[in-house]
Amino acid sequence: MAEMLSARPETDASGGSKGKKRRPAAPTERVSWSLALLAVPGVVYFLVFAYLPMAGLVVAFKDFNVSDGIFGSPWNGLDNFEYFISTGSAARIILNTVFLNALFLTATLAWGLLLAIMLNEIRLHMYKRVTQSVVFFPYFVSPIVISVMLQVLLAGVGGEGGAVNDMLNVFNLPTLTWYTEPGAWPWILTVVKVWQLGGYMSVIFLAAITAIPPDVYEAGVIDGASRARMAWSITVPLLRPTAAILVVLGIGRIFYGDFAVIYAIIGDNGVLFSTTDVIDTYVFRALRSLGDFGTTAAVGLFQAVLGFIFVTIAVLIQRRYARDSSIL
Amino acid sequence: MTSSHTLSRRGFLGMTGSLGLAAAFGLSSCGNDSGSGSSGGGGTVTAIMPGTVPTGWDAVLEQVNEKLEADTGLTLRAEFINWSNYQEQALLKFTAGEKFDNALQALWLNMAQLQQDGALADLTDEWGTYENLSATLDSRLIESNSWDGKLWGIPQVNSAGRCQHFAVRQDLADELGFSEITDFETLERFFYAVKEKDDGTIPFGVGSGSGYLNVMPVPAGMLNAASWEDPHTIAKAFSGRGLFFIFARDAVDTGSSRPVPFWEDEGAIDAMHRIRQYYQDGIINKDAINTDSDTIGDQWTAGKYAANWAMTDGLTSNAMPALTKAVPGAMLANVLPYSGGFDAKPNQTFQADNLVVVNANGGSVENALTLQDWLSIKENHDLVEYGIEGTHWEPVGDDKFEALGDYEFPGYSLCWRASLQRKASYMTESEDRVFAWAQDFDNFTVDPFASFIPDTEPVEKELSAMESVITEFANPLYYGIVDVDDQLDKLKKAAEGAGLEKLQAEMEKQADAYLSNNA
Repeated sequence: MAEMLSARPETDASGGSKGKKRRPAAPTERVSWSLALLAVPGVVYFLVFAYLPMAGLVVAFKDFNVSDGIFGSPWNGLDNFEYFISTGSAARIILNTVFLNALFLTATLAWGLLLAIMLNEIRLHMYKRVTQSVVFFPYFVSPIVISVMLQVLLAGVGGEGGAVNDMLNVFNLPTLTWYTEPGAWPWILTVVKVWQLGGYMSVIFLAAITAIPPDVYEAGVIDGASRARMAWSITVPLLRPTAAILVVLGIGRIFYGDFAVIYAIIGDNGVLFSTTDVIDTYVFRALRSLGDFGTTAAVGLFQAVLGFIFVTIAVLIQRRYARDSSIL
Repeated sequence: MTSSHTLSRRGFLGMTGSLGLAAAFGLSSCGNDSGSGSSGGGGTVTAIMPGTVPTGWDAVLEQVNEKLEADTGLTLRAEFINWSNYQEQALLKFTAGEKFDNALQALWLNMAQLQQDGALADLTDEWGTYENLSATLDSRLIESNSWDGKLWGIPQVNSAGRCQHFAVRQDLADELGFSEITDFETLERFFYAVKEKDDGTIPFGVGSGSGYLNVMPVPAGMLNAASWEDPHTIAKAFSGRGLFFIFARDAVDTGSSRPVPFWEDEGAIDAMHRIRQYYQDGIINKDAINTDSDTIGDQWTAGKYAANWAMTDGLTSNAMPALTKAVPGAMLANVLPYSGGFDAKPNQTFQADNLVVVNANGGSVENALTLQDWLSIKENHDLVEYGIEGTHWEPVGDDKFEALGDYEFPGYSLCWRASLQRKASYMTESEDRVFAWAQDFDNFTVDPFASFIPDTEPVEKELSAMESVITEFANPLYYGIVDVDDQLDKLKKAAEGAGLEKLQAEMEKQADAYLSNNA
C-alpha cells in the first residue's frame, strides 16, 4: 500500500494520467515515526499555547462579564473594535508602534550584521568566543534591570543627574532631564534594543556565515580582494536570505509593541507617551483600569490580523523583487 | 517493514489533532480539579492573597491547620500571588471559574466590576450569624462598607479612620529647630530648611503609582495645603482612580451633588502649582514619576529622605530598625498637619481599603466566613498575623509585640481586625498617639457620600479612555514635571475628547440619586 501511494502518478485536471511526470517517492511524502515522535513536544507546545487559546478570541466580539466568562458573555458585534478605533489616541498609538518597531528592526539587523562580520574577522579563537558571549549577554538581562540601569545613567538616584548628564557636564554641554523629553526616547529605546538584541542577531548571522563555502572566499583572495572588500561583496550578499527571513519575521510582529521593555522603562510617565505609547502599553492600561477583556482581545486580534497582512505583503514583495532570497 | 516505521501525512496530522484534543480535555479537567473541595461544613478553604509566601509560613500553616481543623473541621489553603500581578491574576481566577473561597479585593482593584458582574457572594445576611466575627466589626464599619445596603466583603481594617499624612525624620527636625510640626506651613519651612542644609537629603520622597494622593482631597491631599486647613471634602472617582470629581459642599442641603473635575477645585490647582515649585526647587525627588513606591521605601529606610508618605495604620514605625541601622540616632514622627490638630474631625467614608470577598461561583460562603470567624479569636488571629509565639514574636504587655524573625503576613488580606491588632514594641510615641486617635470613629466626620459606589457600567468605554488621558496628562502634574497651565490646557482638551461631559453627567445623576435615597 505504501509503495502504491508513493508511486501514484499525477493526474491532470481531466483525470488523465501524465505518465512521464511521476513524482519520486520524496521524503516529504512520508514521515518517519521517530521523526514524528521528535516533533511531538513542539507540536503539543504549539497546540496548547498557540492554537487552543485562539478559541478565547471570541471574547473580542463579546460584552465581557466576569460571571458569564468568555464563552457565556453576550455578543456585542464589533463594539470592542469600535472603541479602540474611535479613541482619539488610536492613530498616534498605531504610528508609534510601527515607527518604533521599524526603528528597532532596522537598527538591530544592521548592528547584528556588522557585529557578525566583525566577529567573523577575529582570528584568535578564545578572544572570539569571549567577545561573542559578552555581546550576547544583554539578551538575557531582564527589562526591569535595564530600566534601573537607564535610570542610573539618565537620572541618577533621586533624579539628581545621572552618569550621562555628569559626562555632559565634563564637556560643558547642556544637561537634560531625560525623563521629560519625549523626542529623545525613540532613539534611546533604539539604543537599548540594539544593546539588547545586537549580539543575538549577530549569532544568527554568524551561523549563516559559517555556511558560506570557503572556496568563494578563496576565489576572492585569488582575485586580490581585501578582507573589507570580501565582507562587502561576498559575505553581505550571501547573508541576504537570512536577513530576509528576519525581516519577514520582524514585519509579522510590527504591530506588537515591545511591552516588557517599554513598560518597564516608561511605566506611567505620560510625558513620554507622545513618542513611546504603543498598542500593548495602551491596552495594558485599559485592562488594568477596567478589567475589560473584550476590548483588549479585540486589539490583540487587530494586531494579529494586521501582522498577518503585513507578512503576506512582505513575502509577496520579496518574491516579486528578490525571488532568490524569498522564504516562500 | 516500511509501514511499521513510517507514518503518512494524514496519519501525522490525525495524531497531532488527537494530541491537541487530549491536551484540551486534560487542561479542562485540570481546571476543574483545583480549589476547595467542600461546599461547607468541612474540607478546605482556599484563600487568594497578594505578596510572596511569608518566611516560615509552612510551620505557621501547619499549626493553623491543626487548630483550625480541630475547631471547625476545615483546613486552610493559601495561595499567594505576587503584588505586581495580583490585580490581573485575581480577576482571571474569577473569570476562569476557578474553585476558591475568598480573595482580597477592593475598589482600587476590581471589586466594583466583580460585584456588578455577579461574581461576589452577598454576605449581608450571613456575617451577623458568626459570633466572633460580628464582635470584632463595628456596625458603622459595616454600614459604610455596604453598597446599597448589601455587604459584598468583610472589611479588613486595623483602625477606624485612614488618613494619609507625613512620616518625618524628627532627628533632622530637631537639628534644624523644628521641635514639633503641627501645620502645613511649618512643614513646608522644614522642607526648605532640609534643602538649604544641602547634605544630599531630599526633603520629601514621592513614589509613582499614586501621585494623585499629592493633589486630591481624600480628605487631605499630601501637598494640598487647603485640604489640611479644611479636611471636609473627599474627591470621588468612578472606579477608585482615574478622573476625580469634587462634589458641591452644600450637596446634602440642596440634594444636588454638582460634581466638577478636580482641576476646577482651587485647592487642587494650588497643589499642582506648589508641586511644580517643589520639583524645581528640589523639595521632591525628580524621578518620582519613574520610581516605584517600594524603591522610595528602601531609600527612606536608608536615610535618603527627610519625610515620606504615611498612613494611620500603625506601620510607620516598622521602618525604625532599618533606618536606625542606616542612620544611627534617627527618629521618626507622624505628622498630621491639620490646622485643627487632633480635633479637626476630618471626613471619612470608613470604606475599607481592603476587603475579603467570597467567590460566588466557586466558593463556599460558609467556609469563608467560618475561617473569618475563627480568625476573629485573638489567639488564632495572633498565630496567623504574627506567626508562632516564641519563634516569630513574643508579646509585650497585652497590646504590643516584639518581632523575633522575618515573618510578615499580609494580614490586610485575611485577618485585620481593629480590636485585635497588636502594636510593634518599637512603635514611636508619636505614632502611638496617632494610631490611638485613628481607632476612634468619633474622631471623624462621616462623609455625605460615605457608601456611594458609582456604577461604571453605563460609562465603561469613556472611563477606559479617560484613564489613559489621566495617565498621560494628569500624572505629570501630580509630580510637578511639567508647566501647570500648559498641561492643564492639554488635559482639559483631551478629557473633553474622552467623554468628560458624559462622565460628569453620569456621576451627577448617580450621586444625586444616592443623596435622594439617603435623605
